[in-house]
Amino acid sequence: MKTAATRAGAGPDRAPAQAGGPPGQQAPTGPELRPDRLSRQNLAGWLYSTPFLALFLTFMAFPIIATLLMSFTDFGLRNVTHPLDANFVGLDNYTALFDDPKFMKALFNTCYFVVLGVPLTIGSGLVAAVLLNSGIDRFRTFFRVGFYVPVVTAIVAVAVIWRFVLDPSEGLIAGLGSQLGFSTPDFLASKALAMPSLIVMAVWRNMGTAMVLFLAGLQAIPVEVREAAKLDGAGAFQEFRRITVPLLRPTMLYVAVMTTIGFLNVFEEPFVMTDGGPGDSTLTVSLHMYKEGFSFFHMGSASAMAYVLFTIVLAVTLLQFRLLKDKTR
Amino acid sequence: MARPAKTVAGISVAVAVALSLTACGGGSGAQQSADAKQTLTVWGMGEEAKRLAEVAKDFEKDNPNVTVKVTPIGWDVVGQKMTAAAAAGKLPDMAQMGSTMMGQYIALDVLEPVNTKTFKKSDFFPATWNSNVVDGTAYGVPWYADVRGLYYRTDLAKKAGVDKAPVTWADHHALAEAYRKNGAQWGTALQPGNTGAWQSWLQFLYSEGGSLTDADGKAALDSPEAVKAFETWGGYFKDGLAKKNFVPGADVAKTFAKGEEPTFMSGPWMVQNLNEQQPQLKGKWKTAPLPAGPKGSVSWVGGSSLVTFRDSEHKAAAEKFTQYLTTPETQAAWYGATKSLPAAKAAYDLPEIKDSAEADSLKVFRAALDTGKEIPALEKWNEIAAAIEGTLEKIAQGGDPAAEAKKLQATTEGLISR
Repeated sequence: MKTAATRAGAGPDRAPAQAGGPPGQQAPTGPELRPDRLSRQNLAGWLYSTPFLALFLTFMAFPIIATLLMSFTDFGLRNVTHPLDANFVGLDNYTALFDDPKFMKALFNTCYFVVLGVPLTIGSGLVAAVLLNSGIDRFRTFFRVGFYVPVVTAIVAVAVIWRFVLDPSEGLIAGLGSQLGFSTPDFLASKALAMPSLIVMAVWRNMGTAMVLFLAGLQAIPVEVREAAKLDGAGAFQEFRRITVPLLRPTMLYVAVMTTIGFLNVFEEPFVMTDGGPGDSTLTVSLHMYKEGFSFFHMGSASAMAYVLFTIVLAVTLLQFRLLKDKTR
Repeated sequence: MARPAKTVAGISVAVAVALSLTACGGGSGAQQSADAKQTLTVWGMGEEAKRLAEVAKDFEKDNPNVTVKVTPIGWDVVGQKMTAAAAAGKLPDMAQMGSTMMGQYIALDVLEPVNTKTFKKSDFFPATWNSNVVDGTAYGVPWYADVRGLYYRTDLAKKAGVDKAPVTWADHHALAEAYRKNGAQWGTALQPGNTGAWQSWLQFLYSEGGSLTDADGKAALDSPEAVKAFETWGGYFKDGLAKKNFVPGADVAKTFAKGEEPTFMSGPWMVQNLNEQQPQLKGKWKTAPLPAGPKGSVSWVGGSSLVTFRDSEHKAAAEKFTQYLTTPETQAAWYGATKSLPAAKAAYDLPEIKDSAEADSLKVFRAALDTGKEIPALEKWNEIAAAIEGTLEKIAQGGDPAAEAKKLQATTEGLISR
């Protein structure tokens, strides 16, 4: 907000010089601009951007607008073959969503997932990165690969592994538990434990990305600053708190924004592990949207959900930009 | 993680394409005769598609002018792919279609009615045919059938003092209790919720004499029969005889073999699965008809049918291929390859089935097909099934059957409309 304010403050002095003068004075430059706009170089520019523009308009802009329009209609199964028969229903889809206990439950579950999952992912990614950057010299590549492998592993394989880990009768945790003589709960079948299990799994899957980004950020911190801190008598923890974390702020912002967006859109974990159960305790907004849209073909309602989720993502992202702004400049 | 956003976009594109295509006419052009040189496109599901491609080779030998192109589609994505194809006017000539999907595509008006001069209802089990019928018109020819039977451990039953198969639901409940008393972890396996849980309950409703819809085609899920069915089903959970929590990816063959869940209800393929995966169990288990209610032993009947799409230009060839796939000989050979029950009655008199290794249990399933009842072709079956599954989950957790049935009825009334 500060930058916006200064820009606005600077506006009054600069604006007239650039564009705000009386129309009469601008007149001579007007006609000169026109041929320039259509010049050969501009044409080449447009030609170069055509593939992108065509792809963007077809596969991004058009569906985005179509979904928005659809969210104001009662688009259902029969409209698949007769799309023009869908009726406009105004904001009905949106108001219905907030009366739908299932959607509210999904919204709550998604928040739960984000509030716990994002800090854990960022925290463990940061710790792994710092350790790899300074603590561990041997096998550094081995650990780096080890932490990053879950990121690039197909979700189906991940599901197989985690099903085994969490299996109540012959799983890894249950096996360890019985060796040590205590009984373990049935994680995915318990309303209280299903979501935390998925959060742990998501953290495991996503911390690799955070770690790689933090590693890059750590390497960008000048050695001189660290040396200066050490000369001033800073211990390892103080160095971490006063030097590493503040200088990592830009990386932190990027990691936080990307992780939060990913976690708000959470779909794959509940889709492959629990299908939203037990008793909707792991039903997330995306999964609910998917079921409404593609199992039941309530396209209007599903589109409305997509826009509600989009609004939340946008708001949270803007908030993060404000909170994590680079204060060192 | 952003998959739904992409798929929503995907559908939007498909719809947009449909918008532009319907304008310039995706309708059927000239029909090609059966002996013209042509390619027939067929969508098959999952593993069956591979086998179907092999059968198609034999068909091509007899009909050299027709090339059959089989495209495999995963069961998990078939709903989306087919609906997107319907939207874009890009459906194949023919497809295999699950019995519970029929209602949706009949409502979409993309299926060609069956030529009843070629295909006779009396050649098939009534339930397999009826699930393809809306307002007296059949839209699919039954291909293979799915039906439920009871599997139970005879050795453990003997130990518990039971020496014959349970005849009624009360017998079955008592057997489960006997198993439990004699050291089994659970009395029976019964899916308590989640996708597919309706398959564990519908036989309770049908044997009670209830049905999903009443004579006027309206939802009938709070009928006295339905409430009774919910009570009987819920009784297993109330008495601690069945596991209340759904375990994703649970393998019933394993828990059955270990004696943790010494009885379960499933389809005919489990016979081969048990023989192959748990050979040590040989002679220690049997199949029996589902326990009976007041209306006898009535399983629900599912399976797959063969449909031809309305916009196909190769309807004559499609009819020929469908005919080939539903002859008793092809059906019996198909059983040998896939262990799917033939939908054509005559196939059961052929040696491939009569003399097969599973002949004893096949008699049980064949009898179940005779008495079984179809799942009617309902446009919004997916939603209805999900609603039933939600209700079952609540009852398994101790909810009141009558109250839950009432809520279910309120939800489903709007979903079943005529």
